[in-house]
Amino acid sequence: MGAVLMLVLREPMRVALALITTMMSLGAIYGFLGVHFIAAFQVLIYVGAVMVFMVFVIMLLEVREARGNKRYSNLAVPGAMVFAMMVGVLGISVWRAMNTGAPSASPNGEAFELVPFSTAFLRDYWLQFELTTVLLVAAIVAALAVIKVHRRVPDNRVSDRSANG
Amino acid sequence: MGFFGAHGLLVIALLPLIGFLINGVFGTALGGTKLGKSLVTAVACGFPLAAFVLTVRIFFSLQALDYAPIVEHGYRWALIDGHTFDISFYFDRLSAVMTLIVTGVGSAIHIYSTGYMKDDKSYARFMAYLNLFLFFMLLLVLGRSMLVLFVGWEGVGLASYLLIGFWFEDAANAAAGKKAFIVNRIGDAGFLLGMFLLYQAFGTLDMDVINAAFTSATVPIVSATLVGLLLFVGATGKSAQIPLYVWLPDAMAGPTPVSALIHAATMVTAGVYLVARMSGVFAHAPEASHVIAIIGVATAFFAATIALVQTDIKKVLAYSTVSQLGFMFLALGVGAYGVAIFHVVTHAFFKACLFLGAGSVIHALSGEQDIRKMGGLARKIPVTFGTFFVATAAIAGIPPLAGFYSKDEILWYAFASPSGGSPILWGVAALTALMTAFYMFRLLWLVFFGASRVDHHVEHHIHESPLSMTSVLVVLAILSAGGGALGLAHFLEPQLALPAVPEELHHLEGTLVIVSVVLAFAGALGAWFVFGGPASRAEGLQRTFAAPHRLLSGKYFVDELYAMLFAKPLAWISENVLLKVGDRKILDGTLNGIGSLGQFASGVLGKVQNGSVHLYALFVMVGIVSALLWSWTRG
Amino acid sequence: MDKHQLLLWLSIALFSLGLLGVVVRRNALIMLMCMELMLNGVNLSLVTFMNQNGQPSGGVLVFLVFVVATAEIAIAIPIVLLLVKRKRTLDLDAYTDLKG
Repeated sequence: MGAVLMLVLREPMRVALALITTMMSLGAIYGFLGVHFIAAFQVLIYVGAVMVFMVFVIMLLEVREARGNKRYSNLAVPGAMVFAMMVGVLGISVWRAMNTGAPSASPNGEAFELVPFSTAFLRDYWLQFELTTVLLVAAIVAALAVIKVHRRVPDNRVSDRSANG
Repeated sequence: MGFFGAHGLLVIALLPLIGFLINGVFGTALGGTKLGKSLVTAVACGFPLAAFVLTVRIFFSLQALDYAPIVEHGYRWALIDGHTFDISFYFDRLSAVMTLIVTGVGSAIHIYSTGYMKDDKSYARFMAYLNLFLFFMLLLVLGRSMLVLFVGWEGVGLASYLLIGFWFEDAANAAAGKKAFIVNRIGDAGFLLGMFLLYQAFGTLDMDVINAAFTSATVPIVSATLVGLLLFVGATGKSAQIPLYVWLPDAMAGPTPVSALIHAATMVTAGVYLVARMSGVFAHAPEASHVIAIIGVATAFFAATIALVQTDIKKVLAYSTVSQLGFMFLALGVGAYGVAIFHVVTHAFFKACLFLGAGSVIHALSGEQDIRKMGGLARKIPVTFGTFFVATAAIAGIPPLAGFYSKDEILWYAFASPSGGSPILWGVAALTALMTAFYMFRLLWLVFFGASRVDHHVEHHIHESPLSMTSVLVVLAILSAGGGALGLAHFLEPQLALPAVPEELHHLEGTLVIVSVVLAFAGALGAWFVFGGPASRAEGLQRTFAAPHRLLSGKYFVDELYAMLFAKPLAWISENVLLKVGDRKILDGTLNGIGSLGQFASGVLGKVQNGSVHLYALFVMVGIVSALLWSWTRG
Repeated sequence: MDKHQLLLWLSIALFSLGLLGVVVRRNALIMLMCMELMLNGVNLSLVTFMNQNGQPSGGVLVFLVFVVATAEIAIAIPIVLLLVKRKRTLDLDAYTDLKG
């Protein structure tokens, strides 16, 4: 529901609010599935950090944006058609997989246990863990670089060399 | 002589080739110094002489074998689809005669050239080309298969082109060389077609095999007449018969030794050799033989008329050569193959002597070639005069010189041969013989007798030619005088049968001999009368027959006719159709069009990258859909 | 089974809607948010599979997706800021400099 709203709403702030609601409901779903751990992280990271950041930026840029823009891009119609096709294709894949696949281990899913999960995470998938660490470091460096560029611009107001930083 | 014994014929052919390579590669580098020139001379003359000596040895071994043909297998050239093409050599009476002439007269002319061309700046190149020519000519006469003959055929055409246009800085000389080569090529088309037919019929191009097949087979597989005519077309090109003779007079642009060697003694006789060699085919092709005889005698007559009024000493001799070649083809046409070859030999002697003598005259007069500017040279260059006189008498057919024997036999068989001889042929030929005597003596009188019409500053430099030139002249004059004794027609008879003259005509033989002698003297005396006396007689004659004189001086305007009929339309087609339409529009247009197409396509495809993120995302969607659909079709 | 299937349908819906949003909406920020929506949809499917099969690898991947999403947003938004500073508009159709 929230997702559909996202596509339809005009102002970005309202779109952000729709997204927040969507994420919160996802968190709830995760809770129902028994993975409270992930639900917690969903709300914490996504809603708490990412969406806050987005809302902040929207508020920041809203002043500059001119009103009266069209809502949809030029490719709306073909986009819609392909969307329909994609939904159909994906849905049929899932349907087939579901109907021909072997019945899963347990109909209700096993109870999610934290300890085996953590041990598995840090033992079998340690490489991926380390890689994400690297990714975060890279992100921090990039952010710093952006800040530096951002800072340099007020010094050179005459010539427009900001994008070359 | 182990190696030579087994491959003697190959060695004969290769010796001049080695000379060509040495002189061609190193000659110019050596050429400047005196020592260098001597080296070039030694190489250039040494190899042909060695070839001649070797030929004589092999001739004697042939004689010892009682003239059974010597066959030498050289080298397998190609093996295509089960058909083999070999380079092999063949030596029988006919080849022996031809090879001896080629190497003998050839060597003599090489020696002459050392004197004639010694001041020329491209001396080494000249000698190298002469050697190259000799190599190809030897391939031609020694080859067993028509393929080897054809290689030699084309090769002598190449050498001829190179030598005619030897002084190529003058564009006219180069044009003459081109004309020779191109006209030859037209004839070669016919030759090739004939060869294709023969190969298709017999599966081989070995000439002795083909001849045997024709003589023995009861029903010919391929029309002998057709093959004969096609081969004759090739011969008309190489041997300057109607309609492809037009290159020979222009070929006089080359140095005189070239005219002597190639356009008198050897190359132009290649066509005669071809027909004689393939006598098995022509003996079974009466219509083709008729054509050959008629064209031969027509050419002889035609060329003789032109020679009557020419004013350049070499052009007179050139038309005379065409005329004499016509005689040879006349003999071939009536089945007297051996006689034709006999005339080839005697003609080689006296025509080479005449050309070299003309060269000596030109040399003495520092380059003058117009006979209207000559005269009274007999006392000043006596050796040249003496040899020229002997050769002139020979060509006129005055007994007992060589030309009399061969020409007389031709006239006899033209009259009496059962395969095509007729009084009409004889009559035209006899008239031509009369004209031959007339114009040759005219040449003699105008050049050597009478008051001197030579330019004054040239007159002071008149000198006899060096020994290298005069010695050759003397040798050739002696051969012209005594060559009749060779009786080659009878020597070749076991191989090339002479036509069997019907009984009732035999008694006429003596009469006809006398008639031809009378004609020869009549021509000589007539020339003496017209040109030996005061100049007014000749001029009076010219005024009376002004119109024919113009026609003959213009060589019947055949060159102009050819230009109008063939050259101009071809040039027009090349320019307008092939160049403008074919080359520019079609070829360039297609290539440019492909380029434009590429550019257009890239322009269209480039629109995909229009920088819009939305579009790219759409493509992602489309990609997902298609990937899934595709994976379904794969099952 | 039914529950899982429903959840998968839902994740498909989320993902497709997100992609559609990327295609149709003009505002750059909204586009970024739609990308977040896509990531969420994927997360949901991962959790569903983890629940279905009982293996923890799905959860691991969920975590990694979290990290990546965070890092991405952290960088994407400043980039958008810089771009906006240049062109003074959030309309994506104006950003066709890579045309060609």
